[in-house]
Amino acid sequence: MPTATLDSPAMASEQTEPEQTGPEQTGPEQAAAARRDDFAEQAMQYADQLYGAAMRMTRNPADAADLVQETLLKAYAAYGSFKQGTNLRAWLYRIQTNTYINTYRKQQRRPFEAALDDMAEWQIGDAESFTATAARSAEAEAIHRMPSGVVKDALQEVPEDFRMAVYWVDVEGLSYAETAEVMETPIGTVMSRLHRGRKLLRGLLADYAREQGIAVQDPTVKEKKP
Amino acid sequence: MSETPAIEMPQAKRDCAEARAALEEYLHNELCAEDAADVRAHLAECEECSAEHHVGEMLTAALQGACKDRAPEELRAKLLATLRAAQAQHG
Repeated sequence: MPTATLDSPAMASEQTEPEQTGPEQTGPEQAAAARRDDFAEQAMQYADQLYGAAMRMTRNPADAADLVQETLLKAYAAYGSFKQGTNLRAWLYRIQTNTYINTYRKQQRRPFEAALDDMAEWQIGDAESFTATAARSAEAEAIHRMPSGVVKDALQEVPEDFRMAVYWVDVEGLSYAETAEVMETPIGTVMSRLHRGRKLLRGLLADYAREQGIAVQDPTVKEKKP
Repeated sequence: MSETPAIEMPQAKRDCAEARAALEEYLHNELCAEDAADVRAHLAECEECSAEHHVGEMLTAALQGACKDRAPEELRAKLLATLRAAQAQHG
């Protein structure tokens, strides 16, 4: 299986042991049962990742757990339509995304977020401006040293669509094309969400660094090393 | 995206602008080999773009480091039980 990247040895060894139910049971029903068996094995490998994505979506452990559970049930029911050999992880993420949108997001009232896709670049801040190399190095260093809790909180503050694009690409390592499939949007939209999400994140982390007294970026002032 | 800039820009600045525009795709391995080579070549000679790229790399690394959620054991057990129950329903 060349696409799977996270096979734990324990899971792999379990997979190689098909259930011993007798040699005569090879009809279509048994095949379907074996396939469903296979689903549990396959899907459980992604439990951590599905939970991680669910945490990014729902932002709280109880809802995240429910979302993963519901996702797996839906995926189980739909497993017959999954094309073997294609990316199971992306397929699961897609089901999770739809489940989230259809159930959880409806319950949460965050009306302002819909407008954010239309937000002008200037409102998000201008990371594109050509600031000095020294300030950039300081920024990179500050990000590198940032406590992971701060990074996580900052990501949770980013509006959902941007946040999830960043999550799929930067954390989960999905390609733009895969992310477009998961989010059911054109690749161009993925790129713009990703860009804006990263930009916002950078701004939030820079704010934090400045609060901590780290001079990350002030394009008008030339840094003087003490 | 190959609009020619209306105002004449010095070559070096144009190189920077082009590299900056492609930096995110470069970071995520989304460029074709040829374009990636162009960006790489520019980064090798431009300190500022290279610093910008480094910020991007650090951001990705920080995100990866921060998002290492593990499904709680309790949830794992629940998921397995749920799947088994669904299997049992199918007979």
